[in-house]
Amino acid sequence: MSIESEQRAPARAKVLEVRDLVVRFAARGSWRHRGAVKAVDGVSFDIEQGEILALVGESGCGKSTIALAVMRLLEPTSGRIISGGENLATLRGRALRRARRRIQMIFQDPFGSLNSRQTVFDTVAEPLIIHKMGATSDERRTMVMDALDLAHLRPPQRLAQSYPHELSGGQRQRVAIASAMVMRPELVIADEPVSMLDVSARAGILRLMMDLRDRLGTSYLFITHDLAVAWVVADRIAVVYLGRIVEIGPATSLVEQPAHPYTKALLSVSGGDDVGPDGELIEALPGETPSAANVPEGCRFHPRCPRYVELGMPEQCRSVDPHLHVIRRASAPRPDSAVLSSHEAACHFASEESQ
Amino acid sequence: MSLLEIDNLSVDYRVGSGSLRAVDHVSLRVEPGEAVGIVGESGCGKTSLGLSIPMLLPGNAEISSGSITLADHELVGMSEDQLNQLRWSAVAFVFQGAMNALNPVQRVDRQILEAITAHEAKADKHEATERVLQLLDLVGISPARAKSFPHEFSGGMRQRAMIAMALACRPSLLIADEPTTALDVISQAQILALLSSLRRSEDLSVLMISHDLSAIKRVCDRIIVMYAGVIVESGRTEEVLGRRGEPAQAAHPYTQALIGAHPDLHGERVLAQGLPGHPPDLSKPIAGCRFADRCPYAMPVCREVVPPTLAISAGHIAACHLLSKGAS
Repeated sequence: MSIESEQRAPARAKVLEVRDLVVRFAARGSWRHRGAVKAVDGVSFDIEQGEILALVGESGCGKSTIALAVMRLLEPTSGRIISGGENLATLRGRALRRARRRIQMIFQDPFGSLNSRQTVFDTVAEPLIIHKMGATSDERRTMVMDALDLAHLRPPQRLAQSYPHELSGGQRQRVAIASAMVMRPELVIADEPVSMLDVSARAGILRLMMDLRDRLGTSYLFITHDLAVAWVVADRIAVVYLGRIVEIGPATSLVEQPAHPYTKALLSVSGGDDVGPDGELIEALPGETPSAANVPEGCRFHPRCPRYVELGMPEQCRSVDPHLHVIRRASAPRPDSAVLSSHEAACHFASEESQ
Repeated sequence: MSLLEIDNLSVDYRVGSGSLRAVDHVSLRVEPGEAVGIVGESGCGKTSLGLSIPMLLPGNAEISSGSITLADHELVGMSEDQLNQLRWSAVAFVFQGAMNALNPVQRVDRQILEAITAHEAKADKHEATERVLQLLDLVGISPARAKSFPHEFSGGMRQRAMIAMALACRPSLLIADEPTTALDVISQAQILALLSSLRRSEDLSVLMISHDLSAIKRVCDRIIVMYAGVIVESGRTEEVLGRRGEPAQAAHPYTQALIGAHPDLHGERVLAQGLPGHPPDLSKPIAGCRFADRCPYAMPVCREVVPPTLAISAGHIAACHLLSKGAS
């Protein structure tokens, strides 16, 4: 793996630029969108070629909505989604279909996302037929077999003829990966790809994703609730809370020197640091995430924020919505990154602490 | 005297024309006030084991051997009436996905009240109502929200309400099957914190069933690792899984693989190897060690002889041929 990464060109193109993405849903019973739910509330990020960006957050934070909007499986309310020089947010019809070849998606549930009446071969061949790729059926057959082999479904000849019920959860997720990779996408959006698998099968799937990145230069938008998994898999991590990125930076920097109190709470829970001197567990955060229909004024995190309490409930947190600002000019997240990625956080009092 | 003693318990399921042994001669103890965790992957028998304690196995399952003694009562072979006396008052159960088990059209306080009056016929209505509010308070739900409907609660709050209900008749043992699985990271931590504090304040024994090692590590004194229907290792959680800053001393290769499968934020930033293959088909006879096909250290003897259970240190046991080889 390392040999190939040294061979990569130093300058890397961006495969995705998301700018000020907003996704609103009309709340039920609302009158003229007055009660709109801001599922995604102004999110911007880039992914460069061969990069893995993890979106980490709890359910309802908007991370899956971001993914669906990028795929245009959901209509973004506003914002730009730039890929291959086109703004996906405004593409329609044929142009959108063409653009979608470049971006493929892997879903959480390998039991629900595969058609139980289709063989593995037909499942993996389907996107080729939809996108009219492969001139002959022989050519398509070769592409399918290559994809199965890439996903370590071996021997591909035998597995191609099997049905989903004959496969384990890990194998099914490999089929989903094969049917994404058969299109040779630039970017794969993987939404909780291992959370429904047994613990022992997870590492194999994650390793496969990283291996495909190293061999083919595939980029990933990797969506997970698990900060520890994001840390080992991703180059950069973005932590999402209530429709916003509250912290983003190179994985190591973010995990070793978190700046946002929400990231700190997630880390303390994921690392098992929420244990008191007598072995009793300490609540990392009080309360529940508020509804996206009712985002708190000022900093959206302040009602649960331990730092807000420690600092004597400053007025600023209640009245001013903080935006991402640079906490630390970090080194490149990967040795060959084109740009140095900074570590940014959306907290009024983040910089004071890191000095 | 142990609170719960399970000896040589086997649970068989009728499947088609044959049968499948989901739990195979399992023995374990839970002491008063102790929290014990059972860990294993799907299909390892941990849920069948948990369900067999209050005799709640599905219709196609039966206990084919062994005994279950709870506070001196033998549960195997007990009549339904006698069992109903013990359920809720001696042993209560929080099921997997329990938060979806609340009645959607009944207010939460009402449902907990029913649990009390159904099991304590003589309960005074006023006292029982008081107790509902105390129970909700105990699990961190303000009495002001007692009259809510389940849909007005988040997943974490519904799970708290289920725990409150389980504690309604003051059980001495709480069996919690995957109590945090469907919850978010922060809500999970809150529920685990609640379980760990209830243990102390209510003098409750907990048998927690989970695939999540970190949940067990944080709540339980002892851990039992199951694989394909048998216990492959058990011992003090601190010893088997390791404490902060100290390495795990898991002896069985399966336990080691489970520990390695999840990245440790305090460890190295590397992805584990994972464990290829799947557990064996339990409807067919298995010679030797059940883990042999997936074990990176398998030797010829592993495929022929069932490994003996060996003591590693006080209270720490594992069933693996590697250990007997080292000892001889």
